[in-house]
Amino acid sequence: MNRVYTLVHRGLCFVALLSIGAAIVQAQETVTPSDSFNIVATTTQAADIAHILTDGVDGITITGLMGAGVDPHLYKPTESDIAAMNDADMIIYSGLHLEGQFDEVFQALGEQNIQIYALSKPVKDAGYAIGGFTLSAELTNVDDPHFWFDPRNWELTTQDLADAFSAIDPDHADSYQANAEAYSAQLQALYAWAQAGMISVPEGQRYLVTSHDAFQYFGAAFGWQMTAIQGISTAAEAGVGDVQGVVDFVIDNDIPVMFIESSVSPATINAVQAGVAAAGATVRLGILPLYSDAMGNPGTFGGTYTGMIAENVYIILQSYRCAGGVVTLPDWDTLVQPEPTAELLAVDCAS
Amino acid sequence: MTKNNATPIAFTVSDLTVAYDGKPAVWDADLAVPEGVLMAIVGPNGAGKSTLIKAALNLIPRAAGTVRFYGKTYEQARDLVGYVPQRGSVDWDFPTSVIDVVTMGLYGKLGWFRRPGKRERALALQALEQVGLGDFADRQISQLSGGQQQRTFLARALVQDARIYFMDEPFAAVDAVTERAIVAILSELRSRGKTVIVVHHDLQTVPEYFDWVTLLNIEVIASGPTREVFTQDLLNKTYGGRVAGLQAPAPSDDSAESPAAYTGYAPARAGS
Amino acid sequence: MTTLGRDQRVIGVIAVLALVAILFIGVSQTAWGIQYDYTLRTVALGGALLGVLTGVLGCFAVLRRESLIGDAISHAALPGVGVAFLVAGRDLGALLIGAGVASWLGVQCVNAITRTTRLKQDTALGIVLAAWFAAGIALLAYIQSTPNASQAGLDKFIFGQAAAMLESDVRLIAAAGGVALVMIVLFWKEFKLVTFDPEFAQANGFRVRFITALLSTLIVLAIILGLQVAGVILMVGMLIAPATAARQWTDRLDVMLVLSAACGAFAGGIGAIISAVSTNVPTGPMIIVVASILVALSIAFAPGRGFVWTLLRKRADRRRFAVPTIGGA
Repeated sequence: MNRVYTLVHRGLCFVALLSIGAAIVQAQETVTPSDSFNIVATTTQAADIAHILTDGVDGITITGLMGAGVDPHLYKPTESDIAAMNDADMIIYSGLHLEGQFDEVFQALGEQNIQIYALSKPVKDAGYAIGGFTLSAELTNVDDPHFWFDPRNWELTTQDLADAFSAIDPDHADSYQANAEAYSAQLQALYAWAQAGMISVPEGQRYLVTSHDAFQYFGAAFGWQMTAIQGISTAAEAGVGDVQGVVDFVIDNDIPVMFIESSVSPATINAVQAGVAAAGATVRLGILPLYSDAMGNPGTFGGTYTGMIAENVYIILQSYRCAGGVVTLPDWDTLVQPEPTAELLAVDCAS
Repeated sequence: MTKNNATPIAFTVSDLTVAYDGKPAVWDADLAVPEGVLMAIVGPNGAGKSTLIKAALNLIPRAAGTVRFYGKTYEQARDLVGYVPQRGSVDWDFPTSVIDVVTMGLYGKLGWFRRPGKRERALALQALEQVGLGDFADRQISQLSGGQQQRTFLARALVQDARIYFMDEPFAAVDAVTERAIVAILSELRSRGKTVIVVHHDLQTVPEYFDWVTLLNIEVIASGPTREVFTQDLLNKTYGGRVAGLQAPAPSDDSAESPAAYTGYAPARAGS
Repeated sequence: MTTLGRDQRVIGVIAVLALVAILFIGVSQTAWGIQYDYTLRTVALGGALLGVLTGVLGCFAVLRRESLIGDAISHAALPGVGVAFLVAGRDLGALLIGAGVASWLGVQCVNAITRTTRLKQDTALGIVLAAWFAAGIALLAYIQSTPNASQAGLDKFIFGQAAAMLESDVRLIAAAGGVALVMIVLFWKEFKLVTFDPEFAQANGFRVRFITALLSTLIVLAIILGLQVAGVILMVGMLIAPATAARQWTDRLDVMLVLSAACGAFAGGIGAIISAVSTNVPTGPMIIVVASILVALSIAFAPGRGFVWTLLRKRADRRRFAVPTIGGA
């Protein structure tokens, strides 16, 4: 028995030493060269816009915190994240409490001499934020944080972020402004293209049913109606009443298809589908999950902002088509980069 | 009463050592307990009395040594052995009745998947009457007094109809009436030829109740008939110093046939 | 009071529960307009069946004074979910198996620590709970830093989404419940004896370690299934509350199991129904609220043990025994 005790003791000590060693190594790895301007971006969209605007300018390091498929409402910053943020010269985050677990971190960081920039700021200032939600007992009357789904909002953000970069680094102001202008043109083209597609769906069928309420702005952008099972944050747990409400909504409005999201569990949507089936109706699921809080894997079409919006539009339109709806897929405007993949353009509904 | 060589040895312990946390709790114990005695194991606190019994019954691991019951190992001899653990080892708030607890003594004989039936219940009731708790069969164990709890455990062991009984402090914190009742039961077992081995804490009552005694303080200091072993010298050796106020029975007194026949204490002999 | 009298009391309690449930269902349909559609029926049935399963197994956990093992098991499941995801991806079956294996290992570790060191069970439970859960959090943090888009909702796996229960989930819970009940019937005397007096059981040749392992495995099974419904924090409530409520009303183990099952079923079903009243009422927590109310009522009002009853009896005793002295010496 004594031997077991000693062994366990030794084993624990070994593990403890190993972890301390690892922590030291890790701490050293996050020390970035001091001569580069370190930007830390929280969400994948934030990292994307930062890369685009700083394209062609040397000496800038951009670190993204959240990976693809991560739910920013629930993401808790790790020690290495906080270390990276402490080392940063600028932190770019989405804002409007999207990064729900970061509030205290931002408060603490704000007291240091680090630039903290909220991408939602210009949208909020311009009065385009959709408000009036209750996130929790403490957070009432909050704004919906999913503002980036309206490409017009993203245009405002692009310009404002370029201005912020220009103010910090006037030497490269020309580059930032040029990048912003080029990108804005893409965003405008994207919006026009998406609009053409989304209004091709007959008015009585313009419903988007999803797991959580991430698409208000998307709906506002294209004149569609949204309904979701959970509210604007995935941190809350859905109740039977929520599921029943959506089942009734789907049946009453004859909605042909519902959509699961890439960063949220599909459990509640599956439950709604089962409920609808039990009532004698059918509702299909989207051919692919929609991007809601996070973009796709880097290097794929959905891994960029423009690609993500476009892919969402394709998924919605193709799903409606497969459900028997009459839709028109507008031709791709080649000004917008990157270009969509063949799988999105020609979807085999049987699969 | 003397034991002749023809009396079978019920319980043998050879070189038993039990270690706990690097220290011996029982060291190199050797015992040979003949059939039909009522034996007390006494010693100071921490002497290893309970440990010895538990090690013998394979409840705790042994570092060394062997234990035999009528020459067989415990696994072979389980049907021959009855065990009454300390009262404090269970939660008496458990939702069960007295007769239920006693019936548990028969579970071992039923094997997997069989349920206790009428026959088992009748045996349990019999055992309860033996200990004077016949009217308490359906009583909740949480409503029992200390003495009644002890007697319930005793009944549980009796129902097993074993040949050797091990009891761990059966007289701890029981009232005088219960104590006398338990002693009567133990004597009755003895008169039926059973061997009863009891961990006992009260030195005063040893000569009165027990005809065989083992003095234990991690090692076996002595083991044998009470008259021979329960002397002031050996007691001092066991307890490590003068044990004041103890009166051992007169060494030449051999009129006693059973513990119940002892009426009082013999005066201490000079120089004994 | 005879045992039979107490049995009648328990029958009375179960009858009251059934009556309240029926009335509740009736009132909720008419007065509150709750629809008993497929969704509600599925969730209520699933919740009720889970309540039966955890109620029955919880009796043994509570009597073995291992009440917090439910908490340890729930938390210990987390690293298993992470590992299963890394190995098999987003497959529900794989995640459940991973969770089960991790929890089971955790329980074995708790037992080993209690057996071989001087640490008591509550310490061992705390250590394993913290260590396993921390490992799970670290693993999930690692997963969330990888660009794998299918990790969605992985951490939600252990936080419970009762409202998302499907018929297949209900069938799974029913099957597990069936297995557990069969085991309990087959091993009734073993479970009873080992729970009451493990030392005596061991001395009588029962394989105490095997029986304890069997019981722990059943409890792990119940908790892993229940994680999907009540979530990691509330699962311990589902295990303990019905058993605690039942204990107040009876002194017989078999009756306690039946009553505990009834309380669990009541809490699971009614909790689900309450959460259908309006939107934004989460189902898992409502179930625990109902279960806790049952415990509170039982502790207060159960005759014999209930505290209101003892208060009244003390007052009656005082009155009765004070009378002779009032008249003077």
